[in-house]
Amino acid sequence: MAVIQLLAATTGDVTKAGKAIGLALGVGLGALGAGVGIGNIFGSMIQSVARQPELRGELQGIQWLGFALTEAVVFYGLLGSILAFVLV
Amino acid sequence: MKRWLLIATTAALAFPTAAFARGKFDPTTEFEQHEWISIHIGGLNLSITKAVVYLMIGTVLTILMGLGLMRWKVTSDKDVGRRQSFGEQIYEIAQVQVAEQGLPTKAIGRWFPYVATLMLFIFVVNLIGFIPLPLTGEKWHGVPTWGIYAATSSLSVTLALALLTFVFTHFEGIRWNGPRRYFKSWIPEAPRALLFLIVPLEILGQFMRLISLSVRLFANMLAGHILILTFIGLMFILESLALIPVVVFASAFYIFEVAIVVGIQAFIFAALSAIYIGSAIEPEH
Repeated sequence: MAVIQLLAATTGDVTKAGKAIGLALGVGLGALGAGVGIGNIFGSMIQSVARQPELRGELQGIQWLGFALTEAVVFYGLLGSILAFVLV
Repeated sequence: MKRWLLIATTAALAFPTAAFARGKFDPTTEFEQHEWISIHIGGLNLSITKAVVYLMIGTVLTILMGLGLMRWKVTSDKDVGRRQSFGEQIYEIAQVQVAEQGLPTKAIGRWFPYVATLMLFIFVVNLIGFIPLPLTGEKWHGVPTWGIYAATSSLSVTLALALLTFVFTHFEGIRWNGPRRYFKSWIPEAPRALLFLIVPLEILGQFMRLISLSVRLFANMLAGHILILTFIGLMFILESLALIPVVVFASAFYIFEVAIVVGIQAFIFAALSAIYIGSAIEPEH
């Protein structure tokens, strides 16, 4: 309730505030998803190396590929947010 | 060497007025492009900007690296240990991890040079992006200021690289399979009623590859530079020396970028290029 009252009482540049919230939400949610994904990749890597240490070399290439593909998701979010921030 | 670095750092910290002199600090100015040498041909703007200079330096360094590591004659035993093993390591990554993963055996001879060049070039351009160079285009009392900038943090550069891969992919697909068989391979096996939904998605997917390939590299480098600059620039934005500990985070992130991201992004770009070209040469069905 207090938040709504605070929002209603805002007198400054509301558009700017909205843009800033949008940017932060976009990057934050993107980072959330990618964090889960990257954790998953490295967790699985540890498990598979623990089970079959001789496959480490082969797995490493796939691991880094997956890491970079997942990490890029944050940047799609970032880019979309920056576009929203600049263009709207 | 270490002692000189220490002296330089203390000197820089002892005169914060020099550092504060610029007044308002804005990290986004790093990414502005100014025409240093203006070249306009018709409607084309071929001016030499900061990104172009960085690309030229990157090109020269890549050529020198290739020559130095792989062509230069080995003279002494000590040379064999260092230089040759480093060159062989790079070659092995390009051969085993990149080319053989994506390309079919019959196309490796033709496309290995392209993929390996792509990897080396992006690696070098990314790496010189994290080395401070006096190329910011700004002057402080007549002395050029030093700054970091990566050419790959400009979308035009990465999009041009991705377009190369995009064109080669379809060129090779048509050359090996003929246009009929190649475009037919885009149509997956699915119930006839669903095809009108799936085929546009497949075609869109081909263009999404272009976007994802270019944006991945571009946004990675852009975000890395923005983060490092804002961490360091926080001192200058808020104008307080109490924020100096923030530099620790900045340098930690800097090391992460240089040690991991630079290499990974170069590797990924080359590996995905190889996979795309390979999948066009040998479509699954």
